[in-house]
Amino acid sequence: MLTSNRGERLGRIHENARLPRSVQAIYLRPLRRKAEYGLPVCDLQLRSYSVRNLEFFADFAVRTAYYLKLPLSGPVPLPRIVERWTFPRSHFVHKKTQENFERVTLRRLLQVKDGNLQAVQAWLAFLRKHAFYGVGMKANIWEHESFDVAKSMDKALPKIEESLGTQFARFGQRKDTPNASIFDTLDSERFSQSKGPLTKPRQA
Amino acid sequence: MAAAFRPKKLDIMGNLTALMVRDHTKRQVFAQHEPERQALRYIIRNETLPQRVRAQAQLQLSQMHAYTRSTQIRNRCVETGKARAVYRNFRLTKMQFRMQAYKGELPGVKKASW
Repeated sequence: MLTSNRGERLGRIHENARLPRSVQAIYLRPLRRKAEYGLPVCDLQLRSYSVRNLEFFADFAVRTAYYLKLPLSGPVPLPRIVERWTFPRSHFVHKKTQENFERVTLRRLLQVKDGNLQAVQAWLAFLRKHAFYGVGMKANIWEHESFDVAKSMDKALPKIEESLGTQFARFGQRKDTPNASIFDTLDSERFSQSKGPLTKPRQA
Repeated sequence: MAAAFRPKKLDIMGNLTALMVRDHTKRQVFAQHEPERQALRYIIRNETLPQRVRAQAQLQLSQMHAYTRSTQIRNRCVETGKARAVYRNFRLTKMQFRMQAYKGELPGVKKASW
């Protein structure tokens, strides 16, 4: 088989060399991880008006989940959403001739089972980054905690309070506000003058 | 009275009718006065406040101009400005809907037959 002719060698490349495994896998059915416990972690719903885009992206999502070691079931075809509109083609008198339009939304459900939360988030971020045109996504994520939830929540509390400090500071009455009654607010220009447009000049 | 809300120079363009301008004004006025309306509504519904405060707030709310109400706003076609047969999903009148559907400008909308 050894030839010095470059053209001939290039021609034989398909016989002598194979594609990388990851590329070859694209021509085969998508690989999947097996779920050990079957605990649902994430539901991803894909929606589109076009079957082609939807099927393509669902396949892509299944394949990427494999490489992130996420056990995944689906894509499950969910019921289609059909919206229909009917209009008369012409004026009111010609009510007898009408026209129908419809919009069919196709849906696919992908469910991740007992995957790591970080991995699931990475997967969703990756799908968002490579979002396909005309395909919408929405995901429900479930987090599972151990029985010591209360303890871990108590532990996390001081940090949360610290981060929410700026928000809580806006509640209630501020200390530096003058001791004003609510009537002053109601009588203020902003409330008393807003009943109509400015027909006469405001008094200073 | 209501004309005083309208800016001296029109801030919209296109083939306009008086009713389109009026609706535009109403939208602007509503957006402008919404904080006041909500504040008064809050005072009226807050049962911890004294009755007199709530009564005064009620009065003031009822005395606000009609244009500051959200119910004055009417859905209009974004293309033609027509007020009738406007479809909420697309914000278009029936005729505009058909024209745009033919051109394929409405994603996923096709002629149906079943």
